[in-house]
Amino acid sequence: MEHMKHIKLGGQIGTDPNFALATHTGHSKAGAKHSDPQPKMQLTQEEQDIYDGKKGDVLQKAIKTVVAYGQLFGAEKLVNLGGAPHHAVSWGSDGVEPLLKIYKQLVDAGLKTYAPFTADPKPMDPVHLLVTPEEQATVDKIYNRMDELQELNLKLGMRSEKDWSCACYVPEMGNTPEYGDYLAWSESSAINYVNSVIGARTNRNSMGIDMLCNILGKAPQFGLLTDEGRQAVWLIDVKTTKMPHPEMIGSAIGLKVMEDVSFITGMGRFISEINEETSGYLKDLGAATASNGAVGRYHMEGVTPEAVERGRDLLKDGYQTYVIDDAELDRIYKSYPNLWKDKQGTPQRVFLGCPHMTYGQMTEWGKRIVDAMEKAGKTEIGVPTYMFGSQYVKDAFEKRNPEVAKKLKELGVSIPINCPMMWCSTPVEGAELVATNSNKTRVYTTARFFFDDVLTELIVTGKLPASVA
Amino acid sequence: MAQTTTFKGRPAVPGSAEGSAEVSHIGFNTCATYVDVLISGTDSGVCQDHDNKDLFGHDLQDKIVCIPQTIGSSSAATLFMIILDKGIAPKAMLFANHIDSLAACGILMGDNWLGKRIVTVDLLGDAFLDAVKTGDTVKVHEDGTVEIEG
Repeated sequence: MEHMKHIKLGGQIGTDPNFALATHTGHSKAGAKHSDPQPKMQLTQEEQDIYDGKKGDVLQKAIKTVVAYGQLFGAEKLVNLGGAPHHAVSWGSDGVEPLLKIYKQLVDAGLKTYAPFTADPKPMDPVHLLVTPEEQATVDKIYNRMDELQELNLKLGMRSEKDWSCACYVPEMGNTPEYGDYLAWSESSAINYVNSVIGARTNRNSMGIDMLCNILGKAPQFGLLTDEGRQAVWLIDVKTTKMPHPEMIGSAIGLKVMEDVSFITGMGRFISEINEETSGYLKDLGAATASNGAVGRYHMEGVTPEAVERGRDLLKDGYQTYVIDDAELDRIYKSYPNLWKDKQGTPQRVFLGCPHMTYGQMTEWGKRIVDAMEKAGKTEIGVPTYMFGSQYVKDAFEKRNPEVAKKLKELGVSIPINCPMMWCSTPVEGAELVATNSNKTRVYTTARFFFDDVLTELIVTGKLPASVA
Repeated sequence: MAQTTTFKGRPAVPGSAEGSAEVSHIGFNTCATYVDVLISGTDSGVCQDHDNKDLFGHDLQDKIVCIPQTIGSSSAATLFMIILDKGIAPKAMLFANHIDSLAACGILMGDNWLGKRIVTVDLLGDAFLDAVKTGDTVKVHEDGTVEIEG
């Protein structure tokens, strides 16, 4: 039922629709009371001057909003931001009219973000995601203010017209913060990645407050920006017999801990370091925790930087334990509803990569598809297949793997640079049957999630294996 | 004779308000509630969230909306700004739980950038939602005190 609302919401839901009872601050505040001490934020002289309007009324409104917001969540001060910003707002529609008005005020006041920023992928790639003219007309009608959003973004400090991707932190795109950097990012999967895998510090920011913080170059210090807020209140004990699928382990954690920080053990058997191959795994694991729950970060014993540094000292007193074994993952997989209009229908598209693929993932999937097609002796894929990635990752993949890229193109595989999830939530004539390898896309749309071997067979034959159909 | 029950919460966005209560016992999905405002640009504060049996079809404009917390899309923040801009927002929003960041962002942006306030009190506790009923007259005070006249 909730998923059907996404259809009606018509792609204007944004990239972080979550139906959980969560404060989205990194830890449950279920125990909070009105009588708890309410700290007043201490401002520096520079901040106070802005607050008092000495740097203009627009900047004054920005800091007043940010300070009031921080105080609601217990912040005692603002911290200076490092790295560069990333924003989730990537859809220009009438639905974001108030935000565009605020952006215009910021532009008119001559303000820019403290460093050039990146943004989530656009809702549509008309060149690489093939749709009918009617569908394109619908998309154009909904996202009628894309040009306006891009123009405002560029004036406010967006890095370039190419910089639309949810996986902005990959080396090819290069919006990669450093360990310990304070950030004010939106986009739940990116937040989760930089907090967990890089060790930067950002809260899960809502649209609007992200831009204001990044104009100021400051964010209120609470939640995941504090040492205490980064401690784990859950120990996740992984006891699976083989390396679990990242989308499944992430889903299990998200559904259990909701918004709390977790400390994952038992993964050292499968992952020993963060590299080109494992970064994609950790990205997908984190994105699934963030979409199935509202998780802003996780630690993985012996792998993620803070866990390497502090080990189990990161566990808070009184932590709870959740054991994940093969049976638990099987139970969770079987609990996913089939939301296809025609439940036994043949999939019309295969969407791979949400969040956007890393270079390693694009290479692995590209080779997998080419090998499977050659093995089957086929020259054309059985179902339209799309591997989503940023322009930067796509360029790197095509440059470093020209043969595979050429074969993929000949087979009919496309590499769009837009957001697959937003396409799935765009109301077109009749809901498409989409098969995906992304738990995030599964949560937010009617797409069905399948494992890699099933999707490979589907891509080759055009049909789901009898075991899952 | 009407009985008055008093609760104390945190004045998240302080102010005084008085009106008729609209009570939801499940999370308030801001986007789903105002979906027609978002998609069709309507000027109606009537709740469109089919999943919310407590509020579906109720006009929330100028009401005192009593909820555990808001849920849903991060674009909820702009929804708050839209309904404030259109003048169809509730007078007050009363949270049993700690306010979530989506509502906090939207309500504060509306307050600071549009100059329009939804009086907001959070941390009223579960007992508050047990006590208040749709149609009750509710008075909200600057200090976060909430009076229910049943």
